[in-house]
Amino acid sequence: MAISPVVTYDATSNIKVTATKAKSLAVRTNSISNAPNAPPSKPEKGRELAERLNDETKQKYVKDKKLGEGTYAIVYLGHLRADHSSLLAIKKIKVNTEYRDGLSMDAIREVKHLQELSHPNIIALHAVFSSKNQNLNLVLEYLPLGDLEMLIKDSEGIRYGTAEVKAWMGMLGRAVWFCHENFVLHRDIKPNNLLIAADGEVKLADFGLARSFSDPYRPMTYQVITRWYRPPELLFGARFYSGAVDVWSMGTVFAELILRFPFVAGNTDVHQLELICNAIGTPTEENWPGVSKLEGFLKYDKAATIPVRGKDFYLSKFGTAGPVGVDLLMSMLALDPRKRCTARQVLEHKWWSSDPRPTAKEYLPKKGGGAERMGEDLKRRGGEIEDGRGEKVARKLNFDVGKS
Amino acid sequence: MSRAPARNGAAPRRPGDEDDICPVCKSSRYLNPSMRFLVNPECYHKMCESCVDRIFSHGPAPCPVAGCARTLRKARFRRQTFEDLHIEREVDIRRRVAGVFNRREEEFESLRDWNNYLEEVENLTWNLLQGVDVKETEEKLDAYKEQNEEGIKQNAAIESQENANTEAQFAAQKEQARLRREAALNEELDERREKEEGMREMVDMMAKGDGDADTIARESQKVVLKKSTARRTAAEKSRQQAAAVPLFSIQGLKPLTQAAPEKEYDPFGGYAIKPEYYYLRDHYEHSWLDSARSDAQITAGGYDVGEYCARAMMEAFGGLGVFVQDEIGGRQMRAEKGVGTASAAAAGGGGEEGVDGDVL
Repeated sequence: MAISPVVTYDATSNIKVTATKAKSLAVRTNSISNAPNAPPSKPEKGRELAERLNDETKQKYVKDKKLGEGTYAIVYLGHLRADHSSLLAIKKIKVNTEYRDGLSMDAIREVKHLQELSHPNIIALHAVFSSKNQNLNLVLEYLPLGDLEMLIKDSEGIRYGTAEVKAWMGMLGRAVWFCHENFVLHRDIKPNNLLIAADGEVKLADFGLARSFSDPYRPMTYQVITRWYRPPELLFGARFYSGAVDVWSMGTVFAELILRFPFVAGNTDVHQLELICNAIGTPTEENWPGVSKLEGFLKYDKAATIPVRGKDFYLSKFGTAGPVGVDLLMSMLALDPRKRCTARQVLEHKWWSSDPRPTAKEYLPKKGGGAERMGEDLKRRGGEIEDGRGEKVARKLNFDVGKS
Repeated sequence: MSRAPARNGAAPRRPGDEDDICPVCKSSRYLNPSMRFLVNPECYHKMCESCVDRIFSHGPAPCPVAGCARTLRKARFRRQTFEDLHIEREVDIRRRVAGVFNRREEEFESLRDWNNYLEEVENLTWNLLQGVDVKETEEKLDAYKEQNEEGIKQNAAIESQENANTEAQFAAQKEQARLRREAALNEELDERREKEEGMREMVDMMAKGDGDADTIARESQKVVLKKSTARRTAAEKSRQQAAAVPLFSIQGLKPLTQAAPEKEYDPFGGYAIKPEYYYLRDHYEHSWLDSARSDAQITAGGYDVGEYCARAMMEAFGGLGVFVQDEIGGRQMRAEKGVGTASAAAAGGGGEEGVDGDVL
């Protein structure tokens, strides 16, 4: 694996990327537009083309103050050298002890997928460069207004209603739909990965756990997604799954937005499953054909089986969303991933056209999280919850699972 | 053109000197004590009333001042308001321009727009004053007048209404002040009278001799005190009522209003992703996929062979319709557009990037 991302853009991969995505990105802009000026085969002053391109990119940005530091990354505020009024966040990924010989998988995933996706509801990656010690630097869009979790938690200071929930869910839905339409699974959707831009737009961030859709018979790891937002099939150890896992996470975020506390917040994987059984219903062969074939399936007592909750249960709990909204929530929280609606179906739901109309983004409640909050959010690794609750969350990717 | 002669006419400013001699007929105030000077806003040359009568009674005639050949009409001659004819001329021009450019601060959405407008107007005025590009400026003025006839009329109406209102308000304020003064005066008189009355009563009671003197004095003191307190609270109340009437109002910029009718909410945000060069079938027959479709281990986790097929199709047809040169051009433009939320806002507004209708 090459260390500088610029190096990876050799001629063949360029064509492939352009052909498959037809989406542009800043990283490639540099490499392509600069290429004709300098013949690629001739190293200048003993330096390689890749190094020169990297330096050129590096020169374009200036780091300002530090916004936050975690074990995984340091986040700086930055700006363009040419334009001091531009604001950027520069995420410098630390050379990890676990990956001495290369880059951490999170960083690779993040760069790989973010540079492919250009959408107003997905955080923009402007450029990537490596600084000294071969630290990887991601130049990201600056999103100063904190994240959704902050708004959810501040139940004293921030009041919002169905229209606001609808607006936020709409933006989240678009982001997820766009990812899935481009065959990318995000695999870590949760409120504190939903950052808020200065204009109120919600942006999906942290692609550290993202991957593209798997080919048939190629297993994926099930140790992804922060536990509270993890769907039952992953808790049962499914290695073949689809975009439905992200839709489940969306559903739990939706529920959390309404309740203003996490919908199913388990302490362990088993506890999490228990809570899901209580809240939604026990998975059985009847409501989820084939579930017992999953590796991690836990047998339940026939007597203790909780039937899948009906609409009246949801109405009593999420009444503010209205009957149509509850319909959508129920379809997002279906136990069987095949019965869960897809991201496209979420956006096609009639809830969006029913009253109340989603609040325009400029009128959404704001709580100036400030630059520091963005620093906090970006320095985290995928799958982590703050406040030292990291141990409650399965985090480490088990790559052997994928290889077997 | 008009400026130099105007200066000639206004230059002799030593009061009581040449002002008393008509520059046209040279008759002086000494001979004609009731002499009045008039000017015509066409060229601002001063002349006496009798000259105006003599020269312009039979219709328009050229200005008699040497070097000024402007045709003047009698009807437009008037007395000057300011001693300095430069000022006279400036005020006239400003009045004329302000009559046409009479937009109001409330019409503008931001202070910047309002200031830009004011600057533009001032530029026009200055051009007219200094005689720079007079022809073009006049054309501009006429064009604006023609285009905004309706608005000008409306604003003029609003302004006259406002002036009337202000006058009425001033009058009301004056009236209120008068009433207040009167009330205060009355109050004072009342108080004095009551005091005297109380005193008299007390003396009467003492004279009648029922009760001892100290008690009577204390009682009557109490009565007086009570009355004066009641009066004071009443006066205070009326004063407060008067204060509640707003004396003036401050008007500012027009509040930001989105006049555009609300479009229907598009959950997809303007993006539409549809295959352009192929149709996606529901089912693709391939023996390699069969067990992925039937194996419970795979299907129970939600794995969808359809998604794989969609992806395979997309990747097969992906590059069609993509022209690298155009892409690069578009990209550079985007890069120039800047970073941060600006581009996000733009994209959020229209979703311009996604509706390319490209191969996604």
